[in-house]
Amino acid sequence: MTTVPVPAAEMTVGRQGHYAGAVSRLVAFAADVGASWGVYTLGVALLNAAVKLVTGHSYTLSNHQILALIVLWFWEFVYFAYQWAVSGKTVGMAVFGLQVVTTAGAPISGRQAVLRTVGLGLTLLTLGIGFLGIVFQRERRALDDFIAGTAVVYDWDARAARLRWMARQEGPLHRGPSHRDRGPA
Amino acid sequence: MSPNPIGIRVEQLAQALAERIVSLVLEAIDIDALIDRVDVDKVIDRVDVEKVIDRVDVEKIIDRVDVQKIIDRVDINAIVDKVDIDALVEQTELGSIIARSTTGVLTEILDVIRAQGVGLDDFILRWGNRLVGRGGRVAGWPDGPPLLIEPKSATQ
Repeated sequence: MTTVPVPAAEMTVGRQGHYAGAVSRLVAFAADVGASWGVYTLGVALLNAAVKLVTGHSYTLSNHQILALIVLWFWEFVYFAYQWAVSGKTVGMAVFGLQVVTTAGAPISGRQAVLRTVGLGLTLLTLGIGFLGIVFQRERRALDDFIAGTAVVYDWDARAARLRWMARQEGPLHRGPSHRDRGPA
Repeated sequence: MSPNPIGIRVEQLAQALAERIVSLVLEAIDIDALIDRVDVDKVIDRVDVEKVIDRVDVEKIIDRVDVQKIIDRVDINAIVDKVDIDALVEQTELGSIIARSTTGVLTEILDVIRAQGVGLDDFILRWGNRLVGRGGRVAGWPDGPPLLIEPKSATQ
């Protein structure tokens, strides 16, 4: 049976609530961009099909580039602001086990969600410089975090993940002599 | 009791005699030997346990027990600290049950991806700060927001 490699114990246990680092956040953001663009593309396609069905004429939003850009920005704003306001995490963040909290660690407010979304746009305009705080700042906060008064933490239950991995070893009957050698430190 | 004074004296004499005889008999009897000869199992068989239980007021006994006092005296943290959960999971089939009931391969792959992400996060943080010449000082940074993480000084 193929087994997924086990991460070291110090990477998996007891990290819930710790400040999240650059790679996790970057990957989660990339997933969000992919997801939001996917939904946007699907929405535009559905709109085109609906217009064609009702009017009989073909309509393509991409023919009106400024309008398409406004709709895209508005959609991205709604995508991030709404999800942060509702649960403190986007789809990508949920997949990668991250959550936005206040600097104290409490759930963020709707106002902070909106500010963070605006801040994210501004941070993107800095061509990456605004994200350097994730690596060099003591609370791993980027420019958008400073604007909204937020921080990003690991949210997934790493201890449960470790137990799940151990469970995959199929119990004592299936353990070979090298089990402990392969096991986490 | 007899109203006759002679009768009274005879009765007293008989009483004293009887007490003396009983005392002598009891001294002469080897109680241990007697108990050894008793078939206890037979006696127990004759006892109607159900009847005894029926006569016990369990509710009354429970009412008298101060459960909170018992719980207060138990140090649950000490018990939990003594339990090696990892070893427990390894030794039992519990692990397999957890695996089959709560997760699929997808979840485990996700766990690994997340854990690898955490590892890379640490790597980038460590090397990034080493590049700007403050590698050692990073160790004193807070792990997380105060509401989610105890301050390092409190845990050390």
